[in-house]
Amino acid sequence: MEKFVAVKRAEDGQPVRYLIVDDSVFARKNLARMIESFGGQIVGEAGDGVSAIKEYERLSPDIVLMDITMPQMEGIEAAEKIVRNHPGARIVMVSSVGYQENIVAALQRGARHFVQKPVKPEVLYEVIKYVMKDESTPARGAGAGV
Amino acid sequence: MNGPPEERMSELRQLFFESAGELVERLNDEAMQLEKTPGDRETARSLRRTVHTLKGDSAACGFRELSELAHEFEDVLTLENRDLEAAVPPIALKAADVFAGLLDAYRNETKLPSIQSLRADIARLAHPSRSPASKAKNKKAGKVSAKKTHWTEYEQLSLARAAAANKKIYHVLVQIDPQCAMPIAGRQMIQLALTELGELLAIYPADGSHQPATQIEAAIASEKSAEAIKVKCSIPTISTDVKVKILRVESRGASPAPRAINEEDNATLQAEEAGSTVAVGSETDASGTATLEDFADTSSTPIEEFASFPAAHLADKLLRVDAERIDGVLNLVGELILAKSMLQQALIEFGQRFPKDALRGKFSDAMAFQGRVLNDLQHSVMKIRMVPVDQLFRRFPRIVRDVGIQCGKEVRLSVRGGQTDLDKSILDSIAEPLTHLVRNAVGHGLETSEERVRAGKTPQGQLRLSAYHQGNQVVIEISDDGRGIQVEKVRQRAVAQGLIKAEALDRLTEAETLELILEPGFSTADEVTELSGRGVGLDIVQSVLTRLKGTVQIETVAGKGTTFRLRLPLTLAIIRALMFRVDHRLFALPLNAISEIARTVEGEIRQVEQYDVLQLRDDVLPLLRLGSKPLSGPDTARRKVFVLVIHSGERKFGVIVDALEGEDELVIKALDDQSVKTDLVSGASILGDGRVVLILNMIALMERFTRGRATNAGALTSGLLSGSILPGVTDGGSQTSQELRRAAGSQA
Repeated sequence: MEKFVAVKRAEDGQPVRYLIVDDSVFARKNLARMIESFGGQIVGEAGDGVSAIKEYERLSPDIVLMDITMPQMEGIEAAEKIVRNHPGARIVMVSSVGYQENIVAALQRGARHFVQKPVKPEVLYEVIKYVMKDESTPARGAGAGV
Repeated sequence: MNGPPEERMSELRQLFFESAGELVERLNDEAMQLEKTPGDRETARSLRRTVHTLKGDSAACGFRELSELAHEFEDVLTLENRDLEAAVPPIALKAADVFAGLLDAYRNETKLPSIQSLRADIARLAHPSRSPASKAKNKKAGKVSAKKTHWTEYEQLSLARAAAANKKIYHVLVQIDPQCAMPIAGRQMIQLALTELGELLAIYPADGSHQPATQIEAAIASEKSAEAIKVKCSIPTISTDVKVKILRVESRGASPAPRAINEEDNATLQAEEAGSTVAVGSETDASGTATLEDFADTSSTPIEEFASFPAAHLADKLLRVDAERIDGVLNLVGELILAKSMLQQALIEFGQRFPKDALRGKFSDAMAFQGRVLNDLQHSVMKIRMVPVDQLFRRFPRIVRDVGIQCGKEVRLSVRGGQTDLDKSILDSIAEPLTHLVRNAVGHGLETSEERVRAGKTPQGQLRLSAYHQGNQVVIEISDDGRGIQVEKVRQRAVAQGLIKAEALDRLTEAETLELILEPGFSTADEVTELSGRGVGLDIVQSVLTRLKGTVQIETVAGKGTTFRLRLPLTLAIIRALMFRVDHRLFALPLNAISEIARTVEGEIRQVEQYDVLQLRDDVLPLLRLGSKPLSGPDTARRKVFVLVIHSGERKFGVIVDALEGEDELVIKALDDQSVKTDLVSGASILGDGRVVLILNMIALMERFTRGRATNAGALTSGLLSGSILPGVTDGGSQTSQELRRAAGSQA
């Protein structure tokens, strides 16, 4: 796999902490492998929406990679609930082409970004960089110029 | 950082095949569930999820055919067309088969099976509702043309308002990547980004429209620089080019309206500021930048550790491990047990040499502790190898359904005890024979509905699969309420095929006669139905069970049904065994086979007809003499012997041995055919002092015992293990035992 320049948290230079949510163990491992190659740290995994919310509360990760189709609670609902309680949450939806409407719904409910399955490492990398750069976004009222 | 990439990739591949296999099984289950409860939303949804996951996983692994096929199927399922509900389950079942075939082909890198037929089925399923949908799409797509936008009056008004409030207004033009697979979602992203940048005054195409667009044009009022806006709107995978220009809007005349607007604007501006202040506060809390920065440096390490520990624990409750690795660990545990026996032996010698040494006590304390831990370790490793039989049972509903449809029979399958644990390697081995038995039960054991009704039964045949633990064994039963096996027919067939002589046949019990159907030569090829059809290739059942040191038992009642009962050892690798001597040689039998040990003298052993028997309390126990019969002499009657009472199933008999050696945990080392030419010995083990002990195959022993009685009783009195049966062991002396040790050792 290609070498990526590690994405770090802007505020303290620590590795970005990820929560991976997908009901497929395989998909989780696959994402984890990519994230590790970006120098990220997987702090938690969840297999359904309900545990994703729990894990978010417990771990406060920097980024959540969220699948859409999952048992118990689907990704959109989970994303919505997380963002409601944590407006700063960075949730990236991970889903297949056929789910565009769902992606739109998720974005409207607070997800920050999406990547399409099968996830390409270089795409995910760009998305992560973009989403992490968003650091300053909620602070726009403080007058940050750039 | 985690080993070479190729290795990780192959691990991932492995993981994919395992989870994909499970998904296919799940697809099977869900399809059958859906067949039973057509129109059940929840089942339909979870079926779709399964296909979806399979699609995603296989795409990630680069298995294009599978992923595309799954994708097509998923698309059809998404339609949720009520008219098509009934058509889904059979296609889902077919899909499960095709997917499984593709997976096999990928795994073994063989030619891919044809997928055309399934693809056609899926297309047919999709057809009635797909074409209008695509037409509608095309119609919509045709409408997209407007490139340069004129702001509407309302929008112009908002632009004017913003300008009046002295805000910087930007005109933003974002090109959408034509490769972007989800342009609508992409547009949503851009709109979101714009909203975050400031006040979105106008946007084209409008929010909520579902037309595909190649570009987005917007006007926003923002405090940010043009460059910041450009960066923000350069969204990976979505936008290719972003143009940001300051838009000059002429403020309209100073009518009364602007003031009101201004006030309104201020209000919203204030609200916005308040909102963002709150956001800053919560952001600070969440990330801990400002307040926690000072001690973040010192405490970051423990925090990380704390964070990663529960993650590792929670990440995956299930760990997939190659069975070979566990076998490796188990082998090491076996070696440790051997080392323990060696230490034990050394301790005994030490005790004899220095009986008063205080060190002895310390030694034995340490030994006892080690022994306990070793015991726990062994059990833990054993547990890892255990899997619920449900893993195997899960495939049967499908098989029963398919065979049932083939034969035009209605079958109800009930499964019990799916949670019963069994060694994984044993489970894998019995998959084929069990499948055979199930197929046979449906195909031949059960009658057609008409026949059943004529016989006064329910039209639906019952097939029961159950598993349970019994002692150190697992019992798996397959029973049907079909026509049963006609024992008389089996007799005739066996004789006709030369499997057994007519005279010998008379001595067989009914159970023994039934077992003839498991013989390799037994065939019912030409008279399948007449003979109740049992026995087609059933010798595989017998051969696998023999290899696993298990047994098959058949019970049948004509007209009422048949039960096949498979008894299997829980595990193969380590047994607790009782060691004993026969003719100065060391043997062992699994401890769980022995129900009792009786002490007696030769004089108590009586002869009834040609058999040795012993009066044990109120019972007469038939005896099996392993060694040679002692020459009669003056002391013979007083010679002490032990009788191991073996109780297995319905049978009970005693084994005469000369002396007991104690019990121990034996690590079974398989013996190849060259070392021992008999099925009476199932394996060997090496004791702590280096001696080799042969482990007797209880089942073969018992078989010999019953067969012997039926055919050649004379052999028994001369002793089973003397003479020709174990030539290597009895003739070769110490040299043989060394060979055996080599043979056994090489298996380690």
